[in-house]
Amino acid sequence: MSGISQIFGKELTRVFRDRKMIFSIFLLPVIIMIGIMTLVSHLSSSAQEDVKAHNSIVYIQNAPAGFEEFIKTVDKNCEIFAVNDWDSAKEMIKNGDADLLIEFPEDFVNMVSGYHAGDVVPQIKTYYNPSEDYSSAAYEAISTGALEVYRQALLSQRVDDMASLSVFTVNSDNPDMIIQDEEKAGGKMLGMMLPYFVTILLFAGAMGIGTDMVAGEKERGTMASLLVSPVKRSSIVLGKVFALMTISGVSSVIYVGAMVAFMPQMMGQGGLGLNLTLNSKQIAMLAALLISIAFLYSAIIVLFSVFAKTVKEASSYVMPVYMLILVLGITTMFTTKAPQEWSYMVPIYNTSLTLQGILTQEVTMMHYGMTLGITLVLGAVLVGVIAKAFESEKVMAI
Amino acid sequence: MIQIKGLTKIYKLNKKQMKESKTTNPMKTAVDDLSLTAKPGEIYGLLGPNGAGKTTTLRCISTIIKPTKGEIYVSGHEVQKEPEKVRGKIGFLTGDIKLDPQFSVDYMFNFFGRIHNIPEEKLKARKEELFSYFEIKDFSHKKIKELSTGMAQKAAIAVCLVHDPEIVIFDEPTNGLDVVTARSVTDYLKKLKNEGKLVIISTHVMSEAEKICDRIGIIIDGSKVAEGNLEEILHETNTGDLEDAFFELYRNKKGGK
Ligand SMILES: Nc1ncnc2c1ncn2[C@@H]1O[C@H](COP(=O)(O)OP(=O)(O)OP(=O)(O)O)[C@@H](O)[C@H]1O
Ligand SMILES: [Mg+2]
Repeated sequence: MSGISQIFGKELTRVFRDRKMIFSIFLLPVIIMIGIMTLVSHLSSSAQEDVKAHNSIVYIQNAPAGFEEFIKTVDKNCEIFAVNDWDSAKEMIKNGDADLLIEFPEDFVNMVSGYHAGDVVPQIKTYYNPSEDYSSAAYEAISTGALEVYRQALLSQRVDDMASLSVFTVNSDNPDMIIQDEEKAGGKMLGMMLPYFVTILLFAGAMGIGTDMVAGEKERGTMASLLVSPVKRSSIVLGKVFALMTISGVSSVIYVGAMVAFMPQMMGQGGLGLNLTLNSKQIAMLAALLISIAFLYSAIIVLFSVFAKTVKEASSYVMPVYMLILVLGITTMFTTKAPQEWSYMVPIYNTSLTLQGILTQEVTMMHYGMTLGITLVLGAVLVGVIAKAFESEKVMAI
Repeated sequence: MIQIKGLTKIYKLNKKQMKESKTTNPMKTAVDDLSLTAKPGEIYGLLGPNGAGKTTTLRCISTIIKPTKGEIYVSGHEVQKEPEKVRGKIGFLTGDIKLDPQFSVDYMFNFFGRIHNIPEEKLKARKEELFSYFEIKDFSHKKIKELSTGMAQKAAIAVCLVHDPEIVIFDEPTNGLDVVTARSVTDYLKKLKNEGKLVIISTHVMSEAEKICDRIGIIIDGSKVAEGNLEEILHETNTGDLEDAFFELYRNKKGGK
């Protein structure tokens, strides 16, 4: 098969020698992704900081003596006001000018201290606005925090042994509450995201270059010089498809590498908190599958480019395919049921499923083999179709 | 040796092409039952007006397009049966086949040399010979897109001759070249002929055909109306120069309709 390596080499040279191309294919998408993710996490964490820094504004109706102290124990910076006009206080909550409104019954202290079995239990009402971040935070801290502390304090005045009232507690001292296989959990998380990213990356990385490699060459009139040379049509096709595979592979490796390296930056301090370790069998399975996916995607892109006269036309053919692949990727991301047997027969969809399965260690060898086989066979069939199309003078427009 | 036997090429026109050529007939016969033989050691010229079918004929010989009817043998290989063998024997140059604009002349020369499986040593020697003959050395490191029309044409000629083909097919070889460059190209074609190669060119320039072609085939509307060396054609048409002969044949063909 002489000619394949020359054509492969030429296509790679074209890309790797051109600084502008290296930048736009390999670096720009990574920079954009890291930039956006960093910005998003920065904005959300600074929004959190802002909420923390804010002094809650609390209005209290009929506040019993000493209640302020309890609020100050959970939120020492909060500003407390007495309600003068009930309606305007409510209005302030609605507008976001105040964060929390607490309403005590008028003779709350007497009701509590003079309580006898059978009396009406006094009720404290709190009002807040869930669409305001400050208000929600104040509700969390004060309504569920401070009031509970206050209740305990009042209770202890009434009962000597508080513990006798508890009956039981739930998880008050149990740091090992969460039981999960860290590896499987990491796999689940990544298994959900990875097939999706891989599809985007492998396809997107090959799209621009692939259309230029074939439709662009037709448009520029440079394809014909290869067609009058004694290389087989199939060698031309394979040379180009392999070059495209390499380029999309390199770009996705850079992309994934950057994602891992910049994960802390992008996710803020917390991170995912999940670690993933792959064993060598998983790595081998992943590598073989990813290579075969890159092969299939490259063949698809070249196929559509062959039938286009210009790069523009080719892009408009390839775009819907890209959309379809994105949708299939998303579908696997949100499927929780165990996949049906036949889904491993559906090209492209099965690769997402299997990628997921390898990471969660749930894929069987049978399914893996089926997916790999179908992907490679379909890729080879497409290469055959492309080579046939190369024979056609109508398609090549020469 | 090139033998064309009863070549017919019919293009199927799409709607846009039909509109452009103001016809409702979707079939366009570009070459109509054409036969000819060209032998090693001669320059054969296809002479004809615009749209006569010259380029179409040369493309059929070069396996770029397929004949609708008829057979073409190139060094004994039939173009439809053994296209790869034919491609190995020929060097084909036409205005609409271009070299990759992002690459240097050097790179393209080496690339096609390797495509043709030429050993490195021989490739070096070929490069030395062709680059110095066409005075390419000064700009061989430049990208094709930075070259002038003439420079690019010279580069294209050198690249298409990299494998020292025994048959050279040039579609309008001097098109767009100044007289100096045009002369160096036609001189090189003569040199090839003297080395025993077969050169077949197309042209609509009478003086070029007169000066360099050993035999001329005149094509009008896809069919051959005369063939032979200059003397034979002038004798046959009873005229004094090729232009008069051409018009005589043109009138006969068009008037006969
Ligand atoms: N790809 C094509 N599709 C349809 N018709 C074509 C195609 N190529 C050429 N033709 C038609 O076939 C006829 C012969 O064209 P051809 O290019 O062979 O002429 P030519 O002798 O080379 O002319 P010129 O001197 O202008 O180059 C013309 O009428 C042309 O319009
Ligand atoms: Mg022509």
